[in-house]
Amino acid sequence: MYGTHSKRDMEIDYQSQVPILRPSIHARRAKITVKFQDLYGFTVEGNVDDVNVLNDVREKVREQGKVWWALEASKGANWYLQTHISSTLKTSLKFSALVNAITLKKLIRKGIPPVLRPKVWFSLSGAAKKKSTAPESYYEDLTKAVQDKVTPATKQIDHDLPRTFPGHPWLDTAEGHAALRRVLVAYSFRDSDVGYCQGLNYVAALLLLVMKTEEEAFWMIAVLLENVLVSDCYNKNLSGCHVEQRVFKDLLTKKCPRIAAHLDALEFDVSLVCTEWFLCLFAKSLPSETTLRVWDVLFNEGANLLFHVALAIFKMNEEELLTVHHVGDVIHIIQRCTHQLFDPDDLLTVAFDQIGFMTTTTISRQRKKQEPAVMAELDERLRRLNSINAGDEQ
Amino acid sequence: MATSGNKNMNAKLVLLGDVGAGKSSLVLRFVKGQFIEFQESTIGAAFFSQTVAVNDATVKFEIWDTAGQERYHSLAPMYYRGAAAAIIVYDITNQASFDRAKKWVQELQAQGNPNMVMALAGNKADLIDARKVAAEVIPLGTKLKYSSSNQDMSKIVVQDRKPEAQTYAEENGLFFMETSAKTALNVNDVFSEIAKRLPRLQPAQNPSGMVLMDRPAQTPATASCCS
Repeated sequence: MYGTHSKRDMEIDYQSQVPILRPSIHARRAKITVKFQDLYGFTVEGNVDDVNVLNDVREKVREQGKVWWALEASKGANWYLQTHISSTLKTSLKFSALVNAITLKKLIRKGIPPVLRPKVWFSLSGAAKKKSTAPESYYEDLTKAVQDKVTPATKQIDHDLPRTFPGHPWLDTAEGHAALRRVLVAYSFRDSDVGYCQGLNYVAALLLLVMKTEEEAFWMIAVLLENVLVSDCYNKNLSGCHVEQRVFKDLLTKKCPRIAAHLDALEFDVSLVCTEWFLCLFAKSLPSETTLRVWDVLFNEGANLLFHVALAIFKMNEEELLTVHHVGDVIHIIQRCTHQLFDPDDLLTVAFDQIGFMTTTTISRQRKKQEPAVMAELDERLRRLNSINAGDEQ
Repeated sequence: MATSGNKNMNAKLVLLGDVGAGKSSLVLRFVKGQFIEFQESTIGAAFFSQTVAVNDATVKFEIWDTAGQERYHSLAPMYYRGAAAAIIVYDITNQASFDRAKKWVQELQAQGNPNMVMALAGNKADLIDARKVAAEVIPLGTKLKYSSSNQDMSKIVVQDRKPEAQTYAEENGLFFMETSAKTALNVNDVFSEIAKRLPRLQPAQNPSGMVLMDRPAQTPATASCCS
């Protein structure tokens, strides 16, 4: 009813191969760049190897689907919806529930089949629970109530609609724009401290593509900002984002000391590349299926995963990063890597196996430690700018 | 200047300005010679590099194209720290973006590298009919000629002297150009002009890729004659 019907047309055809012609042997030798559409309709550029990787990924997605169906057959339909790990551990130590939770964690790290994503994400992220505490018609009432309102947030949203994944076959249509607008505008009224922050447009757009309905995409945004991510990530001065960046820098020093020292010597601030990752949750940096695999884990295990993934991207490029001496080269290496990470397992294997353990408590403590410094820095900046302006008016 | 080793230099350049002023479009035009009507909105900042030749030397610009939304301004120091040059962009059809540009100038004057070369770019110069920020001071009494309007605009006479872009730039030690990323008007020129104005002493091997200069004594960056 909110104009998401054509999403049916977007349903992914898992049987089809990447729709490009097989380049000739000469073309292969020349390593030509080809443009093709990925699983979610995004146009990506890559060489023939990348196309092959993407086809392998499709095959792996199919195989992973079989594992899920087999488990459903033995454990019963929707078994995965009753095993949210934290609530299970708190409320019951029943052995079978624990086993299910551990099985699910492992399973999710290997990827949720795209057709099950809406259901699994909605439940495990806590979005379903959040929605259940609101009146049944909450989203419908909210969108109706605010549809004609004009605020700085709605102006900014309108400005960004055609600039969110331009060229996408559904998102960049009148219908896609309208759906994205309703979700973002509705959220801007739900939380006026956030209003609208650029970056959310990419997150909401990808959620719209995955979730079955606009309403579910809305609740996913709500649970992300209110429960999953660190608070104040998207507020008026991005203070939460500043905190995460500082925590990340400390983690890099601890987990990848050689890289951290090298980048320090180049006076390269890692936030230069990481800010976008943390604000768009990689939606703007990684290929779509890789982003969604990161989100699979994010919704089940929480925001610490973002640190794991960001560290993994540096770790994967350690040797090459250590050989370069220019800021531009560092950025080039990182961007080339993220844009070409068509196989999600390449990234997630490093993220889970080579970064080492980080407890939620440790990271929470780090955040607490950084918060006062961030607030002081932001206040100081504001104070200085105000004093310039005050001097100007005299 | 002609000595070998000093012919090629790297220079960190930052673009600042209001959301939708066309910062990313200017960079895309300069780096790739392209124009796209709807550019992806920039989150944080995007990095590009491009080399320009000036006389017998080259300058490799390392360009930081920053996000325009107000709340992202708290990140800006990370991008302009150590920058050799800045382009402050506004949209000639949007007075608020010009006001925002002035705030950026103030911030850079107070916080930035004191030897930073600053350019003021009035972008979207192709949209003449929608112009809101005049490029030059219009003498009092001038009859304005507008090409399209539902009123007879030729009868409207300028009532007031506005702090126009050219005057503002001169008073604040910036150089000013109107640009159009769409038509490519003056886009390369802004970058070339910056390249010409950069202090020409740094070899390209500077590892941090920025132009470092001896900081002069704590004097204000710009001598402003009227404030």
